[in-house]
Amino acid sequence: MADVEHRIRQYIAENFLLDGGQAALHNDDSFLEKGIIDSTGVLELVNWMEESFGFEVDDTELIPDNLDSIDRLAAFIERKCAKP
Amino acid sequence: MPLTPVSLVHQYLLRSAERCPSKEALIHAGRRVTYAELLARARSLSGWLVERRLNVGDRVGILTDDARDYVTAYFGVLMAGGVVVSLNTQTSSRVLASQLGRCQASTLLTHQKFVKYLEADDIIPSVGTIAVAGGCPEGLPSARWVDLDRVLYTDRGEACRDGDGPPVSPSSLAQIIFTSGTTAEPHGVMLRHSNLVANTEAIVQYLRLTEHDRLMVVLPFSYSYGNSLLLTHVAVGGSLVVNQTFLYPNTVLEQMIAERVTGFSGVPSTYAILLNRSAIRQYQFPDLRYLTQAGGPMAAKLGHDLKQILPQADVFVMYGQTEASARLSYLDPGDLVRKAGSVGKAIPGVTLRVLDAEGRPVGIGEVGEIVATGYNIMAGYWGEPEQTARVLRDGHLWTGDLAKMDGDGYVYIVGRQSDMIKSGAHRISPREIEAVLLEYPAVHEAAVVGVPDEILGETIKACVVVKDGVRCDRQDVLAHCHRHLPPYMAPHHVEFLAELPKTSSGKIRVAELRERV
Repeated sequence: MADVEHRIRQYIAENFLLDGGQAALHNDDSFLEKGIIDSTGVLELVNWMEESFGFEVDDTELIPDNLDSIDRLAAFIERKCAKP
Repeated sequence: MPLTPVSLVHQYLLRSAERCPSKEALIHAGRRVTYAELLARARSLSGWLVERRLNVGDRVGILTDDARDYVTAYFGVLMAGGVVVSLNTQTSSRVLASQLGRCQASTLLTHQKFVKYLEADDIIPSVGTIAVAGGCPEGLPSARWVDLDRVLYTDRGEACRDGDGPPVSPSSLAQIIFTSGTTAEPHGVMLRHSNLVANTEAIVQYLRLTEHDRLMVVLPFSYSYGNSLLLTHVAVGGSLVVNQTFLYPNTVLEQMIAERVTGFSGVPSTYAILLNRSAIRQYQFPDLRYLTQAGGPMAAKLGHDLKQILPQADVFVMYGQTEASARLSYLDPGDLVRKAGSVGKAIPGVTLRVLDAEGRPVGIGEVGEIVATGYNIMAGYWGEPEQTARVLRDGHLWTGDLAKMDGDGYVYIVGRQSDMIKSGAHRISPREIEAVLLEYPAVHEAAVVGVPDEILGETIKACVVVKDGVRCDRQDVLAHCHRHLPPYMAPHHVEFLAELPKTSSGKIRVAELRERV
């Protein structure tokens, strides 16, 4: 879990927090409320997840409960990877 | 019963608040705001601005993503005789200082979350008052900072100019919208009350909007497309369901069903996201009457897919420019297949011609520039008489868009004269980004181009030549861009080159850079 979180944080930092501010992002901060990612950023994030962790994200899974913070993303990735 | 005609933009709110005071005007972030509430708040703001000696024609910036505050501020400023300066919330300190400084705005209405762009207190000297919603920041000089929430909840009775007589007239300036042009700085498009009213009336007519319409708004109000959504629905007393982040499209789709929306408006990338990355095929939208798309022609496949998924909804493809208050042409839904790829014909009250460089009409099927005439055409660019004279000639707008017309008078856009990048809902000038890149100490030369993208239409590529003996990588360049530019203007791709390809006369070969993906 810690490794997944670390990878998510690194990806977000390298692609969306380029003006600094990595330290200010908490694991439970909402990307939506913080204005960190825009609509195409979410699509890039999903592509990255699919490529990095080797699963497919269904269109019905593109919801805030699965994607809208580092914690939620990590839990979603864990669930997807645990599926046979 | 026919609606009472209006000649000033804010009279739309006055009219709807009188006709249907308890009707929902806005639904946003769990709040439902009636026309009566909206008018009461707009009056409070207007009264406060008049008390603070806002002069007719003074510019007031609005920078907020709170839809209720935005709409309140929009109409409140107009009621006080001011000119609305609509600011994109995706901004930076640099862009904000430039826009507010150039139009010499006297007041800024904003939200606490955008104060970070204003932290250097001397950033915009012309702005004497900054009214902040959501809590005024502590430790800042108090004379300049005002609590906007308190302003909006204070009843000031009739201490406002409701526009019933002079000094505001239909030819008075109502709004400035910044739009990227061919220069390094965006142009401030000046729109009169008469421009906005003429365009609003035409759109209401061809979309057949009524007070029963409920629109899902995902586009920002600060752009002319979003602005026209706001004005047309307030004009008819309809309802706006606002969710402008569009981060999770399924959330928007569910809201559309729950709120029983009758209309949806997007740019090509909005529809690309809905069709390729949402669960739209698993929902049903029994109340959806129409869809609109502007910002580019609709690909035949997209039109076909939309009609399959939403057979009951009319699809209106539209074309326009900020310089035309928003809208210039629309394709009747019945022609979507027969005239695929067309942006249709001129809207009511507008004449469109396709002319050659000498101003002569080109033949059927030949390419020329679209030239538009109508009451919706802007007054000019703020503080730029030369740029204005370049595009406004004898009252006709030379759009810079290249098109051909078929034998039935349908317009087909084929390109632009400039190398403007169209990415999602944004029009982006490569010059603005190049100017920022060149300020980075390691950069010797830079050129910015748009490269094709399946969802966004285009994404931004920066081609950079680094100074001899200096080290600099992609992250350095991107970090610099993100510090000084709004996120949507930051390049997606960076390519380092030993030199930029140029013609013998020294012009950069843009087409060659575009192809090097």
